[in-house]
Amino acid sequence: MTRLRYPAIAGTLFIVVAALLANLSFGPSKIDLISVVTALVAFDADDYDHFVVAYQRLPRALIAVFLGAMMACGGAVLQGLTRNPLASPGILGINSGAMLFVIVGAFIFNLPPEWQGVAAIAGGFFGFISCLFVTRMTGMSKDPRGLALILSGAVLSMLYSSVANAIMLASPSRRSDFLSWASGNINHVYVERLIDFWWLGVLGLGVLMMFARPLTLVTLGREKAASAGVDVSRVTWISVCVVVVSVSSAVAICGPIGFVGLVTPHIVRPLVGASFTHALPANALLGAAICLLADLTARTVFAPHVLHTGIMMDLFGGLTFAIIVKRYYLSPGVREASR
Amino acid sequence: MIVTRALDGRRVVLFESGLKVRVGDLAALGGLLTAILAAAIVSLTTGTTPITLGDAAASLWRGPDSGDLSFAIWDVRLPRILMGVMVGGSIALTGAMLQSLSQNPLADPGLLGLSQGSMTALMVIFVLFPATPQGVLPLAALGGGLAVGALLIFLVGRGNAGGMAILLMGIAVETSLSSMTSILVLYTPPEVSLALAEWMAGSLFRSSWDSLATFTPWFALGVPAILLLGRSLRSYDMGDQVAMSLGENLPFSKPIILVTAVLLTSAAVSAVGPLAFLGVMAPHLANFISPTSGRARLMLSVAVGALLVVCADMMTRGFAGDIPLPTGLAIVMLGVPMFIVTLRLRAMRRMRGQ
Repeated sequence: MTRLRYPAIAGTLFIVVAALLANLSFGPSKIDLISVVTALVAFDADDYDHFVVAYQRLPRALIAVFLGAMMACGGAVLQGLTRNPLASPGILGINSGAMLFVIVGAFIFNLPPEWQGVAAIAGGFFGFISCLFVTRMTGMSKDPRGLALILSGAVLSMLYSSVANAIMLASPSRRSDFLSWASGNINHVYVERLIDFWWLGVLGLGVLMMFARPLTLVTLGREKAASAGVDVSRVTWISVCVVVVSVSSAVAICGPIGFVGLVTPHIVRPLVGASFTHALPANALLGAAICLLADLTARTVFAPHVLHTGIMMDLFGGLTFAIIVKRYYLSPGVREASR
Repeated sequence: MIVTRALDGRRVVLFESGLKVRVGDLAALGGLLTAILAAAIVSLTTGTTPITLGDAAASLWRGPDSGDLSFAIWDVRLPRILMGVMVGGSIALTGAMLQSLSQNPLADPGLLGLSQGSMTALMVIFVLFPATPQGVLPLAALGGGLAVGALLIFLVGRGNAGGMAILLMGIAVETSLSSMTSILVLYTPPEVSLALAEWMAGSLFRSSWDSLATFTPWFALGVPAILLLGRSLRSYDMGDQVAMSLGENLPFSKPIILVTAVLLTSAAVSAVGPLAFLGVMAPHLANFISPTSGRARLMLSVAVGALLVVCADMMTRGFAGDIPLPTGLAIVMLGVPMFIVTLRLRAMRRMRGQ
């Protein structure tokens, strides 16, 4: 298994570069690869193709890379810590909580746009903590399969997005500014928010990478990690907080987009293994590639319509979710073991 | 009519036909019907143009197309209230039925993706085959709902797989289907897609006498059918094996009940769109009002569902000036806290049982 580690990371790196170039080249007007590359290395302000690449497609691509990396790493850490194959930022209430707080902040407290990131992070914590609270209240700690955690997360996400939608409905004049963001859209105009918040995510990934070894030990077994001298609760709480902050900063940029955080760790794990030292970079790369490809599909397949990336992700996210439920919870072996 | 006591000491009304009804259930049903009537009166008289009770009654008495108020009363408010009562009753009944049959106190046509299946089928017809006549729509919805039901049975298998996993599978199916309907909406002109978005969120806003006329036959046939089929629901509540040993022909009756339930849901979805959580909430509230089982529980659920939707619809109307809040959103906002309380009560019962 671990023999595949470096080839897998090299392979995902290749996929990311290919997806990035495809993303910059395809669109309403097809721009050939040579102009794409020259636009990146020797930008010429008079060339219209260069303008499109640099000011419309590159911002989108960078947002997609940021989103993919944050969500995939967040999903990997959450799946490891909760030991639940269905855990992901989208299902544990972080995305919808962040969305709710951004909407409440903007519509009710009239927060200026600079505060959107703060609101998103507060909302991410609120969403995740309320999910844990409801799960504990409903006796999840007794459920060995951890399904109540996922169920309460799914149900709370419905509640938060309904409340956010109701708030948006109530003020039609400002609704259109947020509507496309709230349904999970990667849009080049959001690049200003990327400029505001990118450091939060990068810092978060840095902290997770520093914690990679103890974090791996904790996800492999709490008792073993403690006997190896790891402060289990400290590692758990710091990494959860870092995940919430980096995921929420991604939500602040392009809205609640699920699926990447759920599926990427499932693809990475068999290739790279459980060690976060290698799994985190692989997740970041593959998550970025998935988001780039989803964005490309959303823009080109339904042309001239441009689909919201969040809708595209939900379509495949639901299917993957069903496959994972089937594989982990409904296969005969698991059913016997859980009785 | 004789009032007597049953073996367990509860008071029972014995009709000459041999029908037995508990006094407590009768009282609860009477109370709920009164509450529905009261909610309907409040709903009829409040809104963007308040109407006094006397004027409303006069307008109702004079009939449609009579004077200034008749538009608000006859063309806007009355159809909405009637639709709310019928749709609420239908979805609540389906929820109660699914909960008994699946032995899962959290089952709900919305959460299991049945409503979304109907919605997607309707969207396909609406967007890709716009010339299809109105009357066919409930049939298309039925096809979609049944397809999702079959898919769930196929995915989950026939064994007792654990209720939570079924629900999660339903949520997964629902997520994919609802994004498919969103994609279909792209291909409609903007003025149509706005109305479709409202419908997709579940809304009584566009209820009219026409949509009532389409839904009424399904309601009038479906609800009594399920109540009749629910004759022996008391034995279903105790599980498949007990029901079989009590003489229920499960392989025969279960599919019929399920299809009828999906039929009713589909007709409701084609009338007002999907209303999630109503099916979970109503039976639990009914149980809270009067702890009972069997057909009485179903009837109480119908009444509670109707009351909930009429009240939720009232809430949505005065929401923000002229903007109506989709009824579906209001029900999610009411329903999720209720759902969590249900989970909590269930956990407490499980702990006490151990």
